[in-house]
Amino acid sequence: RLVQVRWSRYNPSFLEPEVNKELYQKPREELTEEEREQMELKAVRPIKAAPPTLSSSVFSDPMISKFTNMMMKDGNKVLARSLMTQTLEAIKRKQVEKYHKAPENEKEAIECNPYVIFHQALKNCQPIIGLSNITKGGKTYQVPVPLKDNRKRFLAMKWLITECRENKHRRTLMPEKLSQELLLAFNNEGPIIKKKHVLHKMAEANRAYAHFRWW
Amino acid sequence: QMLRLIHTTTAVQRKNVGASGPEKYTEAFIKKQIEEFNLGKRHLANMMGEDPETFTQEDIDRSIAYLFPSGLFDKRARPMMKHPTEIFPEQRKIQWREDGRPFHFLFYTGKQSYYSLMHETYENLLNAQKYQDQLIAQDLPFQKEKSNLAGSRWLTKIELEEMLLEKLSDDDYSRFIQLLEKLMALPCSDIEEKYIEKFSKEVPVQMQKVVIEPLQHDERGVAFSTGEGTRKTARAMAVVYDNGSGKMTVNGTDILHYFPVLQDREQLLFPFQFLDRIGKHDMVCTVSGGGRSAQAGAIRLACARALRSFVTEKEVEFMRQAGLLTVDPRVKERKKPGQEGARRKFTWKKR
Repeated sequence: RLVQVRWSRYNPSFLEPEVNKELYQKPREELTEEEREQMELKAVRPIKAAPPTLSSSVFSDPMISKFTNMMMKDGNKVLARSLMTQTLEAIKRKQVEKYHKAPENEKEAIECNPYVIFHQALKNCQPIIGLSNITKGGKTYQVPVPLKDNRKRFLAMKWLITECRENKHRRTLMPEKLSQELLLAFNNEGPIIKKKHVLHKMAEANRAYAHFRWW
Repeated sequence: QMLRLIHTTTAVQRKNVGASGPEKYTEAFIKKQIEEFNLGKRHLANMMGEDPETFTQEDIDRSIAYLFPSGLFDKRARPMMKHPTEIFPEQRKIQWREDGRPFHFLFYTGKQSYYSLMHETYENLLNAQKYQDQLIAQDLPFQKEKSNLAGSRWLTKIELEEMLLEKLSDDDYSRFIQLLEKLMALPCSDIEEKYIEKFSKEVPVQMQKVVIEPLQHDERGVAFSTGEGTRKTARAMAVVYDNGSGKMTVNGTDILHYFPVLQDREQLLFPFQFLDRIGKHDMVCTVSGGGRSAQAGAIRLACARALRSFVTEKEVEFMRQAGLLTVDPRVKERKKPGQEGARRKFTWKKR
């Protein structure tokens, strides 16, 4: 069913592009029913152009690009991207240093891949349940509400960025502070994890109002 | 007739697109117009020296353009002479008797044909469900096989409005389409199939076929192919050579010097990386206009189009599904009067 998206330049019948090469190289038998339907639909409908941030190379990651966009100020994508690469480099350096200093038996436990660390840290920061303001009978209550995936990711990234922008010494640079926070979040420590736990506790405390939710 | 100020919001106005006003043109008026048109046609044929009996609409258009030449840009503003049914929109005849009692039972809803259509569709839906229950009772397969998604589309809102002779709101239209889709998902007998066919139209599949140019060969025998690409205001022309080493030149300079930003270079390499042909082709291109990202996008499109000649049809289809072959229609939105930018409004001051 075609719903007109508010003022999109594309016709509503256009579908999103799929960049992953492996999906196209899979033979037909391995696909599930839904994927087969999707493929048939794609063969008929026109497809939107791939945005400049999306690419099929190994280095482009949708989470990383989303995070860079959120870090960007006044449209300065060059600066945001360089900060991101410097952060990943800083993480790698710290982890490699730790790797070389660690004794033999612990060497395998240390994770050196900055992308893996980034993804795991974001996953650890994501809250499971959130609060929403519902007005009933004149009073506004904070009602615990299950969050959607997109919302969880957004909250985790937003907390990370605000934390790094505010709670740092004037002289520390963003990549350094970000790498610090990401490593702490990877190990389930640090202020962002604390914030997540505080939110969970508030939701638990307001359990009584959970029945106010109607969706 | 008094004009009343009705205080509604735009959203409510859009939802309640109700019945149009009283009849604008009486039947006698339209009949007179048709007679005048026919007479005028014969006079025109005599004027042009042609046979009045075999004077077609194209001849009329030609003669009017000859007798009244006009340089106006809008075609609708130029002098035209068409049959009255094309000029005056079709409207419904009076829907009530002499004593004021309406014919249709849903007249007072305001959108009688729309609601009666919804009732009919729902009736068909119920019949289809009963049919499905019968099939289940007889242990026959009751899931519908997937019919072709390719060839048909639903009627657009404007076409539906013409069919019903009534104004519809977007909400009404989407509700109707939802019902039709629900009906199509069930196994239907012939009556329902015929009913659905009334509201679906054929989409010519031919327009999706694009001609892929064959490879050309230059003096040294190297195969090459060209492609053009645009993005915002940038225009690019790329030539992709075979048996190359992966060198890329833009406007005479290497891409490393022309695009200092990694993202743009990634975009240039995207088509090659997608087809696993990074070190195999050389690329020379010219680009002008736009900014840095727009030029990169234009060159990407040009390369993808040039690579179509080197690659099998299946891979062309994969490229299309990856979004490499569509022209990006997004351009800078114009600034509107009364607002500070395209979307941003001026600061709201209470007083």
